[in-house]
Amino acid sequence: MSLSDLVLSLADNKQMLGLRYAEWATRAPSLEADIAAAAMGLDDLGHSRVLYGCLEPLGADPRGPERESDPAAIRNLAYFDEPWTEWSQFVAANAILDTAFTVVIEACVNGSVEVLRQRLRKMLMEERYHFLHGRSWLRSGIDVEPLHRAWREAIEWFGPPDGETTQLYKDGRLSMGPAELHERLEERLESRAPQMDIDWKHWDAIRRRAKPGAIDERTFSMLRGLEENRFAQAKEA
Amino acid sequence: MSKGHNGYYKRVSGDAVEYEVFARKTREEPLRQVGSVVAPDDDLAMAYARATYDEERWCEMAIVRKEHVIELWQPGEP
Repeated sequence: MSLSDLVLSLADNKQMLGLRYAEWATRAPSLEADIAAAAMGLDDLGHSRVLYGCLEPLGADPRGPERESDPAAIRNLAYFDEPWTEWSQFVAANAILDTAFTVVIEACVNGSVEVLRQRLRKMLMEERYHFLHGRSWLRSGIDVEPLHRAWREAIEWFGPPDGETTQLYKDGRLSMGPAELHERLEERLESRAPQMDIDWKHWDAIRRRAKPGAIDERTFSMLRGLEENRFAQAKEA
Repeated sequence: MSKGHNGYYKRVSGDAVEYEVFARKTREEPLRQVGSVVAPDDDLAMAYARATYDEERWCEMAIVRKEHVIELWQPGEP
């Protein structure tokens, strides 16, 4: 696992988060929340574009041809595998996972790698409004299940205490390691993560998740632009 | 929990507050009202204002609770 692997994981997760946000652009509880979902989706898709663009300057681009045929090659968290069916799932992702991604971006911006220091800084400004949105909805109260799931996946995504993310921190390329990221996430959200035991033996260091599975086939087709073809065929007929 | 009687989340959680949104594109021009948003708290109002009125590259944006605006007179009044 290299810094490029971490950046690719961040890019894939931001792309999936943006896509899932966008799916709620006409289904949120208010018109204002619809617009916010669309705007945040656009932000995160834009962030993923910038992050993919950082892979080449970082050196080794970990993206291989398997990404065109295997949905499990996309390095997203299990939380994004399926479309969300409840507003609580949106809020938990918005408050916990989006903020988890932001604290890793902070660690990159305050780390020693120049391309990340320069290109990711603007994201922190845009993410401020995602954070305000998530925090406010979180305070209004949501179901416990997606909340606990989001916390678990965020902590797992930071990585094990003795893993390579810790090494990136020790090398100075990241300004925070897993323990510091965990602490920073709790500090930002002004709440503690629920008690949990994480079985790091089954943790996938490339996909940064413990749960097996992958994004659904329709979403995978959308990512590759194949859904568009389906509509094109219908038009011809 | 902010679910309404039909099991859905209410369109605005908590007590709805109206906010006026002000913005300007350059330092030289004055802040002008560009619209309003309704939200239950300042955090959400900031997020909604930024998302709703992002059609321009504003150099400044501010929101004010409508109830905090002190009116001296209104249209039609002497």
